[in-house]
Amino acid sequence: MSGRRTETGGRIDRLRTIRFTFDGKAYTGHAGDTLASALLAAGVTLFGRSFKYHRPRGLVAAGVDEPNALVTVLRDGTREPNVPATQVEIFDGLVAESQNRFPSLSFDLGAVNGLGGRFFGAGFYYKTFMGPVIGPLKGTRVWMLCEWFIRRAAGLGRAGRAADPATYERVNAFCDVLVVGSGLAGLVAARAAALEGKRVILAEADATMGGSANWSGERIGGRPADEWAEDTTAELAAMDNVRLLPRTTVWGYYDGNTLAATERVSGHKAQAAKAEPRHRTWTIRAGTVVLATGALERPIVFPGNDRPGVMLAGAAERYANEFGVLPGRRIALFANNDGAYRAAAALAAAGAGIAAIVDVRPAISEGARMLAGMAGGELLLGHAVTGTQGGTALSGISVRRFDAGRPTGEARALPVDCLAVSGGWSPVIHLASQAGQKPVWSDERQAFLPPEPTQNWLGAGAFTGAAITAEALAQGRAAGLKAAGGKADRTKQPEVEAPTLDPAPAPVFEIAVPDGREKAFVDFQHDVTADDVRLARREGFVSVEHMKRYTTLGMATDQGKTSNVPGLAIMAAERGVPIPEVGTTRFRAPYASVSLGSIAAERHGDLRPARLTPMHDWHVEHGAVMQAAGLWFRPQIYGLPGETVEQAYVREARTVRAGAGIVDVSTLGKIAVQGPDAAAFLDRVYTNTFSTLPVGKARYGLMLREDGFVFDDGTTWRLGENDFLMTTTTANAARVMQHLEYFLDVVWPDLRVHLTSVTDEWAGAAVAGPDARKVLERAVTGTAVDDAALPFMGIVRGEVDGAPVMVCRLSFSGELAYEVYCGAGHGTHVWEALVEAGEPFGIVPYGLEALGTLRIEKGHVTGSEIDGRTTARDLHLDGLLSKKKPFIGSAMANREGLADPDRLSLVGVVSLDGRPLNGGAHVTLAQSGPGGLGESIGHLTAVCYSPALQKYVALALLRGGSALHGTRAFVSDPMRGRFGPVEIVSHHFFDPEGSRLHG
Amino acid sequence: MLIACPYCGPRDVAEFTYQGDANRPRPDPASTDLDAWNDYVYQRANPAGPHREYWQHSGGCRSHLLVTRNTLTHEIAGVAFVRSAPVPATKPAPAAPRKRPASRKAKP
Amino acid sequence: MAERESPLVPVYRPGSHGNFAAGAGVRLLETRPGSIVQAAAWPGEERRLAAAIAAVTGLALPEGPGAGAADGRRAAFGFAPGRVLVVDQQDGLAAMLSGAIASDIGTVTDLSHGRTAIRISGDKAEWVLSKLFAIDFAPAAFPSGAGRATLHHDVSALIQRTGERQFDLYVFRSFARSFWTMLCHAAAEVGYEVA
Repeated sequence: MSGRRTETGGRIDRLRTIRFTFDGKAYTGHAGDTLASALLAAGVTLFGRSFKYHRPRGLVAAGVDEPNALVTVLRDGTREPNVPATQVEIFDGLVAESQNRFPSLSFDLGAVNGLGGRFFGAGFYYKTFMGPVIGPLKGTRVWMLCEWFIRRAAGLGRAGRAADPATYERVNAFCDVLVVGSGLAGLVAARAAALEGKRVILAEADATMGGSANWSGERIGGRPADEWAEDTTAELAAMDNVRLLPRTTVWGYYDGNTLAATERVSGHKAQAAKAEPRHRTWTIRAGTVVLATGALERPIVFPGNDRPGVMLAGAAERYANEFGVLPGRRIALFANNDGAYRAAAALAAAGAGIAAIVDVRPAISEGARMLAGMAGGELLLGHAVTGTQGGTALSGISVRRFDAGRPTGEARALPVDCLAVSGGWSPVIHLASQAGQKPVWSDERQAFLPPEPTQNWLGAGAFTGAAITAEALAQGRAAGLKAAGGKADRTKQPEVEAPTLDPAPAPVFEIAVPDGREKAFVDFQHDVTADDVRLARREGFVSVEHMKRYTTLGMATDQGKTSNVPGLAIMAAERGVPIPEVGTTRFRAPYASVSLGSIAAERHGDLRPARLTPMHDWHVEHGAVMQAAGLWFRPQIYGLPGETVEQAYVREARTVRAGAGIVDVSTLGKIAVQGPDAAAFLDRVYTNTFSTLPVGKARYGLMLREDGFVFDDGTTWRLGENDFLMTTTTANAARVMQHLEYFLDVVWPDLRVHLTSVTDEWAGAAVAGPDARKVLERAVTGTAVDDAALPFMGIVRGEVDGAPVMVCRLSFSGELAYEVYCGAGHGTHVWEALVEAGEPFGIVPYGLEALGTLRIEKGHVTGSEIDGRTTARDLHLDGLLSKKKPFIGSAMANREGLADPDRLSLVGVVSLDGRPLNGGAHVTLAQSGPGGLGESIGHLTAVCYSPALQKYVALALLRGGSALHGTRAFVSDPMRGRFGPVEIVSHHFFDPEGSRLHG
Repeated sequence: MLIACPYCGPRDVAEFTYQGDANRPRPDPASTDLDAWNDYVYQRANPAGPHREYWQHSGGCRSHLLVTRNTLTHEIAGVAFVRSAPVPATKPAPAAPRKRPASRKAKP
Repeated sequence: MAERESPLVPVYRPGSHGNFAAGAGVRLLETRPGSIVQAAAWPGEERRLAAAIAAVTGLALPEGPGAGAADGRRAAFGFAPGRVLVVDQQDGLAAMLSGAIASDIGTVTDLSHGRTAIRISGDKAEWVLSKLFAIDFAPAAFPSGAGRATLHHDVSALIQRTGERQFDLYVFRSFARSFWTMLCHAAAEVGYEVA
C-alpha cells in the first residue's frame, strides 16, 4: 500500500488490483479508481504543465470540472487527448501520458515561458503580432517567425494521425421524463416519475449513480448515503419503464425538448465486447426534463493558488471518502463558507492531519464550529491564505489576517502538503441556460441560479441552489412527481442525518496581495490571472463578452467551469459594480468534450449510403471503373488492360457509332404520374404539350423553374390514358420530384394526380448504334421492333428471356437507339441477354465518358449546360416553349434580360492545335497567353476527344452564340496553363440532319 | 427543431425540406404581369417573429405543410396540411407590411 | 418467368454474426414478397380504397394515419395521406388491385421490384432500429400493424410493426445493400442471425 491510500474506507474494491502506466511508468490502483485517484494514491502530485507558462500543475478537482490534469489516453494505436484524469476509469493495460511538456513532465524546458510572464499576458498576440512595426519587421512577419515555436509551446494534447479502429454510433430515445444527474435529487425524481408509470431515463455522467451521496459521509434513512443511493439505483434498475444511463454526459439542450448525450460505452474496459462501440451519442426526446445536475465548487483566487497540492475542498473530501486516498498528510483548509468544514472533518476521520482551517469570515455557524472541533487543527477565522511555497508539490502556505476585504499584518508560514479550498458553489446551469432565459444572480448564495425555462424542464437539488440534502430530496421528489403529472405522493421522505450548516458564503472571490509577485490564477486551463482580468479592464474590455475574448478566460476545454464566476467577480470589483452588471455569458453546447467520432457515427467509411443500379455487380465484374454520381455509382469506362481513360472511351464511343453499344441508364429519375388530370398537369409543368401525346409514345420535355430558367429535361412516356412515366436527369431526380409535389400540394390541389418515385422499380439499358435494332430483334420476343411497330419515340412491351420489358425508341447518342426497361430484379438478367444478343455485332458496354462523348458530338445538353443560369433560348431549345398555354416559368422566361442576344449561349468549339481542351476553360477572342489574358466571352462546359470528328471538341456557352460560328478564338485556362487556338462552330458537330437516328 | 406533421406526428427537422415563404400569392398562370411575377418569385418579407412557411415532410409522408414558425425562437404555433389550408393564389397579400422597391423601371 | 434477383446477394450472409455469444438479439431476413404495391386514394375516397384493399386481400384496415394490418401472408398499412402500401407473398397483387380500384377511387403503382423488404425480429429489434431511425418504436407509440414513413440519412424507409417484436422495413432497392450493411452494423452489438 502506497503512502496516500488509507487503510480502510472508500468505495473502491481493494481486492482487485489494476495495473496501468502513466508517462511510461507502471502503477497500480483498484477497481473503482479514476486515473486521478490512483495516481494521487501513488503519491503523484504533478499531473501536467500549464497552457502558456508551463507551470507545474496538480489535481484541482475530482470530476468533470478538472482544469489541470488533462491527459492523453493511448489505445489501439490512437490518441485521445485532453481527457481530464478525473474522468478516466482505470483498467488493466491503460496507457496514459501527460501533455504539453518537453522533454518530460518533471523537467520541462517550456517552463522558461514562466520567466517571461509579463510578455505573455492577456492580449499578447494582438499586441505583438498585429502591431504595425517592431524594429525592421512588420507585426505579421514576427508572427510568421514565432508561430512554430509558440504553437509548440502553448497548447494542449496532440491528436493522433492513425485511423481510429473503434466504432461509434448514435441512437434515438423517447421518454416521458429525462432526469439529468443521479445525485440524490435526481434519484428520487426518477423514482417518483417511474412509480407513476412513466417512461424514465436517468443519465449520470459518472460511472456510478448517486452523485455526492458517494462521498458526502451523510446518512439517509439510517444508512450511509452511498448505500441508500445504491439501493435506490437497484430499485430503479429493476423497473422496466426505467433506463439507467451511467457514464452518459448530457451536453446539449435543443428545440423541442430534444437533448444530446454521449455515453462512454467501452472505453473504460480493458477489452470491449465484440462489436461494442466506444461512444454512443444519444438523441433523447423527452416530455419533461428534470435537471438535477448539481453544483461545482469554486476556488478562491490568491497568489500561488495553482501550486500542485492546492485543490478544491469538496474534491479532497471525495478523494478521501470515495477513493480512500488522502490528498495530503498535513492539510490546511481555506474557505469563505461552511462547506469546507465537512471536508476537514472527513479528511481528519480518514487519517489526515489538519493543520489549520483558514476562513475569511470573522464568525462561523455552530455546525461549522462543531466540524472544526472534530477536524482538529487551528481555526483561523478572519484570515486568508496569501501565498504558497513548493515546486512540483506544495510545501507550505502563508497566512495573514484578513480584514475589510484585504490582508493585513505579518504573514505566518504553515508547513502543509495540501491546501483544500472552497470559494462557494456554482449550480451547473449549463443545460438550463441553453433552454432558458438569463441566469439569475443570488446575493445570498453568491451564485448564478437557474433561469426561467423556455422549454419544458424542472430543476431539483443543488442545481437550484439547494444546499442541504433534505431540501434536495424534497425537491427531487416534487420535480419527479410534477414531471410525471402525478399527484399522490407514493414515496416516503427519508430521514437525513447531516450537520446543520450555513449555506451562504462570504462574498470573497480573490485575496489580492498588493505588490504580490506571484501570479494568482483565475482560469487554470488557459493560464488567465487576476492581473489579466484587471488589464482587460484598463484596456477597456469591461463587458463579460469582451473580457472573455481578450483574456480567453473560460474559453478552454473546461469552458470556465471553475473560473467564470471568479473572473466576473474580479471584473465587478474593479469596476465597482455588482456582479450581474458585468453579465454572464450564455452557455453553449456541449457541456463537456464530445468525441467527433460519436457525432459522425455511422456516416463514415463503408457505412456511407450509396445507390447501386441493378447491374452494378456486372459492371464491376466486367472491368468497369465506377464513378460516384451523387450517391449513385456508375461505370466511367470499361477499360481493357493497358488502356488509358481516353483510349477506353474513344474505343467505346467508336464502337457505338460503328455497330452497337449498351449503357446502364437505370439511374435516370423515374416518376409515375398517374390520374385523370395527369396530362393536364404535365402540360403545366413542361414547356411543351403532353396532352396530345398518344398512348404508347414518348416525348422529350423541358421544365423551367418559376424564374424562367431551365430546370430539367427528359422524356416522358405515355403508358396509358391516365398513366405516364416521366424520366428526369440522374442528378435532378429528387429535386424534380419535390418540385412537382410542391405544385400539386400547394398550387393545384384540385388536380387528381398521384406522383410516385419509381426510379428503383425499373432497370434501364440503352442499346445504341446502327446495329441496335438487330440486337433487339435477337433479344426481344412477343413484339416486333421494326420501324412500323416501333417508330421513333414509340413504346412496345415484350419479353427478354422470360422477363417482361418495355422498349422505347429514343436516342441520346444520335444513333438508332432503344431504351429497354424491365423490373429492377430482372435488370442483370435482361442486360446479359442483350449483351449476348449483341455479340455477333461486337456490342460493347459503355460508360459515362463515352456517353458524354456521344452526346457532345450531337450537341445534346446535360447538367453541365443546364446549370441553373441558362434559358431555353441559350440552349437553342426555345422551339419547345409552347405559345399556346402557360407553363411554370412561362411569363418569367420572357423577361427582357433573359431574351438579351448578348447572353451566353450554346456553341461548339474545336481545338485547332490538336491538344485536349479543359472543362471550365475560358474562351477569348483576342490572343490569350501567360503574358496577357484576353477578355472572356464564356467558358467550355463539356470536353472530349471526338472519334467521329477525330478532333478534341467541346461544348461552350459563349456571348454571341451562333453569330460566332466560324470564328477563330482562343482557350484561356491560366490555372492549368492551357492556351491555344480554337474554332467556334455549331454545337451539332456530328450528323446535324439526324439521318442516323432512323437507321 | 421538431415539426408535428399532422399525419406522422412530431418529427425531427432533418426529415423536412423547407419549401419557401407561404405568404406569396401566385399570379394567375396566364398572367404576363412581370411585376406580379417578380414579387412572387423574388420578394420576401423576412420577418423577425412569426412566419408562415411551407415545409415538406420529404423524409416521411411527403406532404407539404403550412407551418407558422417564429423565426427568432423556432417556436411553432401551428402546422396544417397545405391541401386543407387556403391556397395562396386566392389569398390577399399578407397583413405584414412588405417593403417593395418604389419603381422597378428605375434601373438602367 | 425470370427469377427476381435480390440486391443483397453479395452481402447477405446467413448465420450468426456480431456479439452473439449470449444469443442473437435480433434476426434479420429479406422476406422477398412477390408483390409490393402502392394504392393511393383521391381525397375523400380513402374509405372506398380501404374497402377495395379489403376485398382483394381480406385485410381490414383501421382508419387513421399509419393504420395497418398483417396476416402473415399479406400486409397493408397507411404511410401518407390516402396512400397505403399493400404487400403479398404472391405475385400478381398489382393487377388484382388495379381491377378493384377504379380511376375515380385512386391509383395503383407496382413497386414489387423497386422496394426491398427486410424483416427484423427479436428482443432487441426496437433497440437496433432506434440506432437508425428517429421515431419511437415502443409498442404504445407504434402499435402492431401500424406503419411509419421515415428515413435514415438519405435512405427513406417504410416500416410496419408486424408483431410484438417484429418489424418489416421497405427500402428503395438501390439503397438496399447500403442499408443492409448499416443494419448489420447496428445489430452487431447485440448479435444477429441472418436467416
